[in-house]
Amino acid sequence: MIKVEKLHKSFGKNEVLKGISTQINNGEVVAIIGPSGSGKSTFLRCINKLEEPTDGKIWIKGADITDRQTDILKVRQNVGMVFQHFHLFPHMTVLENLTYAPLKVKKTTKSEAENTAMDLLEKVGLAVKAQEYPSKLSGGQKQRVAIARALAMNPEIMLFDEPTSALDPEMVKEVLDVMKTLAHSGMTMAIVTHEMGFAREVADRVLFLDGGVLVEDAPPNEFFSHPKSSRAQDFLQKVL
Amino acid sequence: MNLDFTSVLPSLPFILQGLGVTLQIVCLAGILGFLLGIILSLCKISKIKLLNWLANAYTSVFRGTPLILQLMIIYFGSPQVLGFQIEGVTAAIIGFALNSAAYISEIIRAGIQAIDKGQQEAAMALGVPYRPTMVNIILPQAMKNILPALMNEFITLTKESALVTTIGVMDVMRRAYQVGANQYQFMEPLLLAGIIYYILVTILTFLGKLVEGRLRSND
Repeated sequence: MIKVEKLHKSFGKNEVLKGISTQINNGEVVAIIGPSGSGKSTFLRCINKLEEPTDGKIWIKGADITDRQTDILKVRQNVGMVFQHFHLFPHMTVLENLTYAPLKVKKTTKSEAENTAMDLLEKVGLAVKAQEYPSKLSGGQKQRVAIARALAMNPEIMLFDEPTSALDPEMVKEVLDVMKTLAHSGMTMAIVTHEMGFAREVADRVLFLDGGVLVEDAPPNEFFSHPKSSRAQDFLQKVL
Repeated sequence: MNLDFTSVLPSLPFILQGLGVTLQIVCLAGILGFLLGIILSLCKISKIKLLNWLANAYTSVFRGTPLILQLMIIYFGSPQVLGFQIEGVTAAIIGFALNSAAYISEIIRAGIQAIDKGQQEAAMALGVPYRPTMVNIILPQAMKNILPALMNEFITLTKESALVTTIGVMDVMRRAYQVGANQYQFMEPLLLAGIIYYILVTILTFLGKLVEGRLRSND
């Protein structure tokens, strides 16, 4: 589904990613963890080309997105993304947030887009908020709407960039629950997260990044009980 | 001081006739300047260096020279450059539009750059192309923030429109001046013109507040 080969990314002279190669298979849920500044978010943002890779290749369902010939907009329609700070469109109602891209990009009919949107809002438990503006929602509700907005494009892959880091503690669970349901539905997911419990429970694999290098790639049980590298051991000691 | 409006008041309809011209210039120049301002502001935030440079050079020239000079160059220069004399009103509309576009582009640029980058990224991540992202996502939010500054620009435009007197356009200002010249009595017609401009600006301010209130209603 996603294949990354020798991915490098530099901001000016600062090399953030130093040659990362990995692959995420269909239906797999991958948690990406590591200390801050390790390049986790940058790695995730390269996958839908919000960051332009400096070197290396990334394939999404066979399409090389580092190739300029590839229609990145087309690829992005199939790759949903959820941000730490939600980034809902504040001048649109919740329903409009969900229907905007399907109407504009996929040229879905209005009734179809609204039906899909209401189904999704139902799934994240926010159907009653359809006509509200985002400013009226709590952080947890905003993030659930943001997840529904990404799902409204019916993507095959979902990227999550620290989806619970900006939330008050009591709202984390409602968002993780939605993500859990999504993971069990067979969605291919890449999640940058600090929620170790969640990673352990839901992920099929854990990628541990440090200093722009993929240090470990292991199933969660193995990673959390027997981290191989001293850097991962160090990190886990601090966060667990 | 003895003010005597009785001899001037019969000329009030004559002065008021200038309102049509004044409004025509302000409205058309405002709309054209606004549209050109949007285009210029998009050039300024573009990744293409040449567009940045062109838009910045444009702004620099139109902000760096007197408006009255620009008006005169367009009006008096047209026979030499275009081969025919353009009408005063047309010259005024072009001049004010070009000039206010320079100022408006700066206002809009700042407004766009004040919008959280995440808004654009969210649209990109959904596969939305650049143009609808700007038109549907970024600009509506930017407009809300810059409305006060934009209103200010339109108010300035309304008042500055009196400069067209210098290129012979029969606006409120010029008519007031002519009435004064005919009657050898300037104070009263000029005061009348002042009141007319003040009322115009007050209406504009009121409309601005109305629009602003409506836009803020979903906050």
